[in-house]
Amino acid sequence: MPISKNALVRSTVLFLLLGLAALLAIVGAMVWLVNETAVNSSNLIKARSERSALITLRGLGQDAETGQRGYLLTSNPAYLAPYNDARAKFPDQMETVQSAYADEPEQAALAARLRQTMTEKFAELEQTIELAKSGRYAEALAIVNADRGRALMDEARVFFARSIERADQTVLDSIARQQRGIEMLRWVTFLGALVIIAVVGGSIWTVWQYTRQLVEAQREVAVLNADLERRVSERTADLGRANEEIQRFAYIVTHDLRAPLVNIMGFTSELEASLGALQEYVGEVVAPPAADASADAADETGKAEAARVAAFEDLPEAIGFIRSSTRKMDGLINAILKLSREGRRTLKPETIDLQGLLENAANAVHHQIADAGGEVVIVGRPPALLSDRLTLEQIFGNLLDNAVKYRSKDRPLRVRIEAGIGPGNTVVVKVEDNGRGIAAQDHERIFELFRRSGSQDQAGEGIGLAHVRSMARNIGGDIGVQSELGTGSTFEITFARDLRKVIGAI
Amino acid sequence: MNQQAKPVLIVMIEDDEGHARLIEKNIRRAGVSNEIIPFTNGTEALNYLMGPDGSGLVSAGRQILVLLDLNLPDMTGIDILEKIKSNQHTRRSPVVVLTTTDDSREIQRCYDLGANVYITKPVNYEGFANAIRQLGLFFAVMQVPETE
Repeated sequence: MPISKNALVRSTVLFLLLGLAALLAIVGAMVWLVNETAVNSSNLIKARSERSALITLRGLGQDAETGQRGYLLTSNPAYLAPYNDARAKFPDQMETVQSAYADEPEQAALAARLRQTMTEKFAELEQTIELAKSGRYAEALAIVNADRGRALMDEARVFFARSIERADQTVLDSIARQQRGIEMLRWVTFLGALVIIAVVGGSIWTVWQYTRQLVEAQREVAVLNADLERRVSERTADLGRANEEIQRFAYIVTHDLRAPLVNIMGFTSELEASLGALQEYVGEVVAPPAADASADAADETGKAEAARVAAFEDLPEAIGFIRSSTRKMDGLINAILKLSREGRRTLKPETIDLQGLLENAANAVHHQIADAGGEVVIVGRPPALLSDRLTLEQIFGNLLDNAVKYRSKDRPLRVRIEAGIGPGNTVVVKVEDNGRGIAAQDHERIFELFRRSGSQDQAGEGIGLAHVRSMARNIGGDIGVQSELGTGSTFEITFARDLRKVIGAI
Repeated sequence: MNQQAKPVLIVMIEDDEGHARLIEKNIRRAGVSNEIIPFTNGTEALNYLMGPDGSGLVSAGRQILVLLDLNLPDMTGIDILEKIKSNQHTRRSPVVVLTTTDDSREIQRCYDLGANVYITKPVNYEGFANAIRQLGLFFAVMQVPETE
């Protein structure tokens, strides 16, 4: 299952929220349990103190009763000690028990009743003891026998038993509640931990899947990239081979064309040399025709005249045409030969100071421009580059020569050269002039061999720009033009900043 | 040129008959009157130089100067040059390479193989004629050894 970037973000957020919820649940349960424990332990403490107070109070009652019985039996005051002690402690202890039930009205009422019962009991005890002290044992025993005291004590015992049981119950309840709370916390913690583990596991799984996809995609990109590079270098090599083949073809063609041309020119010269001998002879023989010449002689004279015209007019004219045509053809062949030779020249990449090179090129035409009041300015910051010096010199020399050659007659020439960095590690140089300009339909044509543009008032064979384009392409670039007729032209040359990469690709 | 016992033969191997004729005319103009034996292909020329058996014995005792074009229909002039310079009977014969190629590697190769002179045919006729006439003058004064 592919995971998109958005899905990854969504699931990560979801997992984080789930984990947070589980954590909050655990913390909440913990806080609740702490509260519960606090409540439980305060209940527990209260129940324990209630219970101990009740037991102490019951003990006091029993002690007092025990002391009374001992004294009544023996009349020995030593047996009164527990009674006296209990009697002294009773009011405080009673207070303690009652205050323990202060916020429980029902129990408080029962405690008030207990106070009454106990007070009555203590009164009965005191009465019997006072009687015994004064020697009226019979009266004292009669009171005891009346069972009033026993009844009071039984009533108090019932209260004590019930209240102690109640306190015990409270203790048991608190412990049970505490245990339930702990049990609950255990489950919440366990489930929360499960959720967190699931969330973490899910996150890890998602991230792992996503990473795996990324790695896979990266690998694919690398493979595609390698393939692309291979194809590009193949194409470049193909182009280089094609270019080389064309140049070799041009070289062979020009050589093979030149051999017959040498013959034509050679034998034309021979013909001319022979013509000299012919003209000498014909010029001697042919005399102006005599007035009284016979028909035969006239015929003879006609032939001689025809020979004279041939030797002095037709033949030289024909030879002249042959010569001018062969000279022209020779020029064209030489031009192609020059181009192909340039293409075959081994390029030598070296560090070029483009600024200096451009200045030298400008200095070479400085005279011609300055004489007419014009100027050349070089702006921009040419980058450091590795290229073929001779090629660059020829390119810019050619362009500046053209700027001078095709300048506008009615204004001083201004040439602006701007060098900078182009896309794809190239150098871009713009050569802008205010010359006569080039018509739009000729913008491509001017780079073709033997093609020229505009009025043909300058000498030239139509080779310069074709040569420049061929050279620019040799150093990994090209040339283009932007121009408006009558306003000026801007030639833009791009070439590789590092020629070694271009040479290496071919 | 050495005119003593046997006259020096000029063997001209040139496929273009026009060029051959122009070369001959211009050599004659320089005053060289030695016999010129023209060949228009490599096979016939080698036949003459090395004999039908290819041993080169036929050339023993001859005084030969070879004018060689590199572009031939059936083989390159370099093959011929190699054969002449590696055969004991013909290796001392001077070979003048006269061709249209001005490729520097080609020139080096010819000299490496033992060519004595390498001349590029000038493109225009005046230059061509002038070069051949000078070559003819050079022929007139040079010594050609007798082959073994």
